[in-house]
Amino acid sequence: MATDFWVSSHNTRWNVDRAALRQARAEDIHYVDHPEHLDFLALFFAGLIARLGKKLSLRQRVIATATVFFRRFYLKNSYCDTDPFIVIAACCYVAAKAEESPVHIKNVVSEARGLFSKYGIKTFPSDNSKLAEMEFYLVDDLECDLTVFHPYRTLMTLCWKEGSDSISDAEAGELGAGIDNGQRYWGTGEGRLEMHEGALQMAWFIINDTYRSELCLIYPPHLIAVTAIYMACAIHQETRGDVEKQSQLPHAFGGAQGGMGTTRRSSRTTTSPLKRAQPQDIVGFLAGLNVNMALVATIAQEIVALYALWDRWKEDGTVDSARASLKRSASGAIMGATPMGNSPIGTPATGDHGHGDQHPEIVTPAFLIQLLWRMREARLADLSAHPTPGRPVVVNKMLERAQAAG
Amino acid sequence: MHEEWSSNILLNDPMRMYRAKRDAARRRVTDKYTIQGFISSGTYGRVYKAQSKESDGRIHAIKKFKPDKEGDVVTYTGISQSAIREIALNREISHENVVALKEVILEDKSIYMVFEYAEHDFLQVIHHHSQSRTAVPMPVLKSLTYQLLNGLLYLHDAHIIHRDLKPANILITAGGVVKIGDLGLARLTYQPLQPLFMGDKVVVTIWYRAPELLLGAKHYNKAVDVWAVGCVMAELVSLRPIFKGEEAKLDAKKNVPFQKDQMLKIIEVLGTPDERDWVGLKDLPEYQSLKRLDAYRNRLGEWCQSRINSKEGFELLRQLFAYDPDNRLTAKEGLQHKWFQEEPKPTLNAFASLATTQGYPQRRITHDDAPSMIPLPTANSQAQQLAAQAQAAHLSQQLSTHPQSGKAGSAGAASFASLSGGAAGVGSGHARKKTRLG
Repeated sequence: MATDFWVSSHNTRWNVDRAALRQARAEDIHYVDHPEHLDFLALFFAGLIARLGKKLSLRQRVIATATVFFRRFYLKNSYCDTDPFIVIAACCYVAAKAEESPVHIKNVVSEARGLFSKYGIKTFPSDNSKLAEMEFYLVDDLECDLTVFHPYRTLMTLCWKEGSDSISDAEAGELGAGIDNGQRYWGTGEGRLEMHEGALQMAWFIINDTYRSELCLIYPPHLIAVTAIYMACAIHQETRGDVEKQSQLPHAFGGAQGGMGTTRRSSRTTTSPLKRAQPQDIVGFLAGLNVNMALVATIAQEIVALYALWDRWKEDGTVDSARASLKRSASGAIMGATPMGNSPIGTPATGDHGHGDQHPEIVTPAFLIQLLWRMREARLADLSAHPTPGRPVVVNKMLERAQAAG
Repeated sequence: MHEEWSSNILLNDPMRMYRAKRDAARRRVTDKYTIQGFISSGTYGRVYKAQSKESDGRIHAIKKFKPDKEGDVVTYTGISQSAIREIALNREISHENVVALKEVILEDKSIYMVFEYAEHDFLQVIHHHSQSRTAVPMPVLKSLTYQLLNGLLYLHDAHIIHRDLKPANILITAGGVVKIGDLGLARLTYQPLQPLFMGDKVVVTIWYRAPELLLGAKHYNKAVDVWAVGCVMAELVSLRPIFKGEEAKLDAKKNVPFQKDQMLKIIEVLGTPDERDWVGLKDLPEYQSLKRLDAYRNRLGEWCQSRINSKEGFELLRQLFAYDPDNRLTAKEGLQHKWFQEEPKPTLNAFASLATTQGYPQRRITHDDAPSMIPLPTANSQAQQLAAQAQAAHLSQQLSTHPQSGKAGSAGAASFASLSGGAAGVGSGHARKKTRLG
């Protein structure tokens, strides 16, 4: 079923593990000075997709789908073998169609050219057919799996309130549309979590931010949504106050039922803690969802690691993100509020390449674009020259892949 | 010097290496399938019958989307919305009563969708009986309707509205299993980013179009498919479309006109809709146009009397034709209807009751066209077009006794005539080009 995540192509074919991600970058890593530069590239490209999407007036969900397409494409391809900018444009173009809000190819080409030229990229073709050609190859590499699931849906199913005004107008439609037509596709609990407007908005932004990393390839969307809710509750001042108050009271840990009987209140009353009779038991609600909370804690750590990386990313203009709030909140608030302490699974992304030491250097778009150019040149040189003793692997991989695909 | 060479590649065609690698790895359609012949054509492209070169030698229907052309040169212009839809939805679904997509092959600017093969379709069954002046036997009628509803229930549970159910799009395998085909107009309705009417101004072929659509409703739902099931069931019963209206054309500004004749055909049988039975009728954009039509009383009972020899059969049809979409049966309620519980009961093989000599003829294919599946060199393209036209004409003559034949070919897959086709196509000897909004 097209709306059942468990049997979807997303779940059955496109959830990968860290080893697969490493394998996907196996060629690129030869051409960068530091492995974390690849994480910066991932951050940068997702940012470009979001910017191009905004220019094309794409909704957040379409931008998210485009980003997932981009990530999936680079599971099978290397940055150094391809031109990520045309791939970005093709992802936006296909995602708009896949999400039933098509944009004209002409607009994509002209907006992409405009956007990329600001970064000094002059190679983007002005010819529509080049983008259409890329679309064709992209759809093929995506194996025609064009239906993507996103955490927004879980967030809205769990937390959406009628008359909620926390999310900007552009996104309000996404909250409301067809919500009563839907079914919960996972979870045992019923009812909704009533979040503060600010906390709900924050959860939404955290989800937006996760697309800057490769989390969308590793974890199912509903877990990312629960993590975003959990983090938002921990960061959002008022919500945190409520949770702390409740944790003083033993009965608040009564379990999943805590939130069920609560009647829905209007958004105006929820914003004032003084008027609320009794705050909902958030910890109990999350527990009642019956998801793997250890995994949620791991995802939270990865998001925190993403923010740490992002802090060293300098781009002109401001980016809306939940990072600022995260920095404002007391350090360790996230981990402090974790119900189960340290996660047993995996390590956050920054630790991934074995470089525990912090690189305080600042990374900019100009740096990455230069890096990318150098990567591509070096790669071409390697492919055309005799395989150098240092890198025979690179060429062999090509062959292997071609054989595997054939 | 080296550097210069690589810079040139990077500047002029940065994806050249990538494409070369992908092209080398690709397996072509003709590597995997032997094309046996041509089945049908439509706006979307053409459908071929093909045998797999794998050891099972299974038969498939390969739908080739038309490559876009600028003049005589085949070029990339972007994959159509309907191809994206059909591919995206088909990759996610799997049900006995929905045509299964085996794979999609992208090659030389063309998209090939490889489907399981179905020997028959509803249109062909209707045609066969109308030519032999026999009725569709009750067990067959009931099984086909039941399985159609069963496939539709699956789609609706998956939040998919088909939006183009009609006899030509509903296939039947040689083993008597109904397969709903052609999701080219289908849409996922789960949390749409924009209202359905924004995408496609006109949906469902005119004769099968639900009254709320005819009356200009901006918001519609799965019930439009259920109406079409009613029309299809009635057509199986009477061997001609029950509401066979003339389609009014779009005006110069592409505004959708009120489909007066189609609405009239409906109320002549079902009577003039009453505000008391249809909450919200008054608010529909074309309500005033409806009021200007002559008033009729409901004659569905009389219509059924001579055609369906069953009180419950009439009951089912009556409920499928409920004017108010909210009162119309759902696919699920349809399956639970008493008609399916009384003898003869529906069977998994819809043809189970037929004697071996009674079967339906095999799908006709033409062989001469097979080579043109592979694009010919540019110089030959005119000849190719001529051949295609000749063939389309041939095909429509074959089917000229059926009113739909002038439209988009016969069986197997889509014929989208929602906008320009309709009854206007009747009797014209040539398959005409159809366009579609969206």
